[in-house]
Amino acid sequence: MGHAVCHLILWTGVVTLMWGRPARLLAAEEGGVLDPEWGVGAWIWDTNCTDKQTCRFWRAVDLPEGSVVARARLRITADNGFRLFVDGREVGRGSDWRSLTEYDLTWVLRPGRHVLAVEAFNDRLEAGVLAGLRVTFLDGRVMELGTDTNWWVVPGEPRGWEKRRRPSPDWRRAVVVGAFGTAPWTTRPLAVVEVPPLQPVNLPFWKQGWFQLGLLGLCLAAVGVSLRLMARLAWHRHAEDLLHRERMRIARDIHDELGAGLTQLVLLAEVARKEHAAVPGVAESLQRLCGRARALAAALDEVVWAINSRRDTVRDFVSHTCKYAETFLGQAGMRCRLDVAPELPAATFALPTRRNLFLAVKEALNNAVKHSGAAEVRLGIRCEAGHVEVRIADDGRGFDPATVPADRNGLSNLRQRMGEVGGGCEVVSAPGRGCTVVLRVPLHPPRRGGRLGVRRAATRPAHSPGAESCPSAPAAERLRGTGDVVSRSG
Amino acid sequence: MTASTNRHSAPLRVALVEDQRDVRESWARLVSSFPDFDCVVTCATGEEALRVLPELRPDVILMDIFLPRMSGIECTARLRALLPEAKIVILTASDDDEMVFLALEAGADGYLLKRTEPEALRSALWDVVHGGAPMSSVIARLVVESFRQKPRGPADTVRLSAREEEILLLLSRGFTNKEIADQLGVSIETVRSHLKHIYEKLHVRSRAEAVARYMTARIPRG
Repeated sequence: MGHAVCHLILWTGVVTLMWGRPARLLAAEEGGVLDPEWGVGAWIWDTNCTDKQTCRFWRAVDLPEGSVVARARLRITADNGFRLFVDGREVGRGSDWRSLTEYDLTWVLRPGRHVLAVEAFNDRLEAGVLAGLRVTFLDGRVMELGTDTNWWVVPGEPRGWEKRRRPSPDWRRAVVVGAFGTAPWTTRPLAVVEVPPLQPVNLPFWKQGWFQLGLLGLCLAAVGVSLRLMARLAWHRHAEDLLHRERMRIARDIHDELGAGLTQLVLLAEVARKEHAAVPGVAESLQRLCGRARALAAALDEVVWAINSRRDTVRDFVSHTCKYAETFLGQAGMRCRLDVAPELPAATFALPTRRNLFLAVKEALNNAVKHSGAAEVRLGIRCEAGHVEVRIADDGRGFDPATVPADRNGLSNLRQRMGEVGGGCEVVSAPGRGCTVVLRVPLHPPRRGGRLGVRRAATRPAHSPGAESCPSAPAAERLRGTGDVVSRSG
Repeated sequence: MTASTNRHSAPLRVALVEDQRDVRESWARLVSSFPDFDCVVTCATGEEALRVLPELRPDVILMDIFLPRMSGIECTARLRALLPEAKIVILTASDDDEMVFLALEAGADGYLLKRTEPEALRSALWDVVHGGAPMSSVIARLVVESFRQKPRGPADTVRLSAREEEILLLLSRGFTNKEIADQLGVSIETVRSHLKHIYEKLHVRSRAEAVARYMTARIPRG
């Protein structure tokens, strides 16, 4: 399509050059049509003439491409008055047919098409418009154009008629009502009033089309970008929500299907064991079956706990960890002492963090059971200044960290786990002094590679009523510290 | 004390409310295999339990938490009003402490893990029936927190005694009943009797509230 238009323009240009249309325009059609002394054409009007009549005249002027206008002046008068428009812009008025008004159009006539429009008014009796345009080009050529039958009469007052680039089919030709100097306009012009040269319209940049279009484009782009961002944010939220619900569903399915099934299995086996206790061999096998199934169920519980998004809170982490420690240490015949801050925040605790922390605690407890020979293990959990701190201390035989290779004491493993979630691990031990492992993780690790940096606002939870009744002052201090816990904003 | 102590020789009559058939039958057989317990009736839903149990008046009711339609917690609250003498024991998976706590508030006398070994199960049942059922550290912490909150209404004047709170705090720190007895220089029976009072206070506290609270509460599962 664009291609075809290009061709059309090209061919029009070639044809114009070959036929020498500008030269013809100058020499034959318009050249020498004006009165040599006064530089005007003939008096023109519409076919009929009435009192109090307004008549509109229209004429296109084509200046040849590549020409340079040296001087252009337009003389005009009307019986009884006129308004003159050049290219749709009103340039002046006049109301005395005996004097000519001269407009200097040198600065506004550029090569290409221009439109002259005259709105004339007849008060009474005879009516007419008289005008002439003389354009002198830099190369010496002259173009003359006067009022004649080439002007169009615009019927009625169509909107924007003075701006039209080409005549409408319902317009009619103007009628010459008398040559210059003939009756009833025999009086020679008394004067030529010269109007200062017309300057080309110089709009401030913010009123110009390119700027307004650019601004509009910029606004549209901004709106587009924000919409896109909003959509992405909404999608992100939606995805997170979906993940949350999906995790909950998977956890529930595992719990309901596998977990309940395993419980049934244990029960069935227990019943069978009870009822066949007399048969030797069978009872032992069933006993082992029960043990395996119970261990499996416990492992499954842990998986469900990790998956379930309903468990993504500090409170739940603490409950789960305490329960695990009690069971695990109880089975190993060790005393378990818990030291948990009473009012734990219900802040969210992301899955990777709580899972890694739990596995690290598990490993530390396992180390204590395997190596310490202690009678008692203390598990302390507190939450302060946006961090969760777990302390596992035993009163066992201890070791000298300097003499134990880092890769053999299972501590590098702990450090790696904590490092994955932006936390840290500290081990204090000496021979005969027991061992203390301190694990510390931020509640919300900094996001890595997240394209949308969803900020989490810090909120200050209401002051906990339990703080006043807290037995020790440092503990109360710590509780106040939990006020800085960062929680998810949405 | 309940009549069960007097009829020391007669087996205790147990009712079971559980929606899954296999589990229900296994539990019934398991309970009946203990010489001092006898499973007299099983119900599949809370509605059925409310219809059947008031007439049978069992000594012990074993109640699953997750029942279709009416939850085990609501059923507990309603049965507690109908059968004040019966002991209600909640059967639970390992990971629903908060649910268990709600059930204790609603009037349950204790709770058992579904996967408890038969020997432990029998002694746990005995503990529940004779008051002072064992309490895990997590539940103990929830109980302490609950009593420390502001009174729920003008009628709520139930408070824990200093000794009761001390015992709960020791429990929440992982002490066993025996270790608590040693620590406080009292007998293990005294500790159990304190626990019994704690359970009772929990019930008195919640009785001030309408049963309706448990009727409308939707229980998230899993």
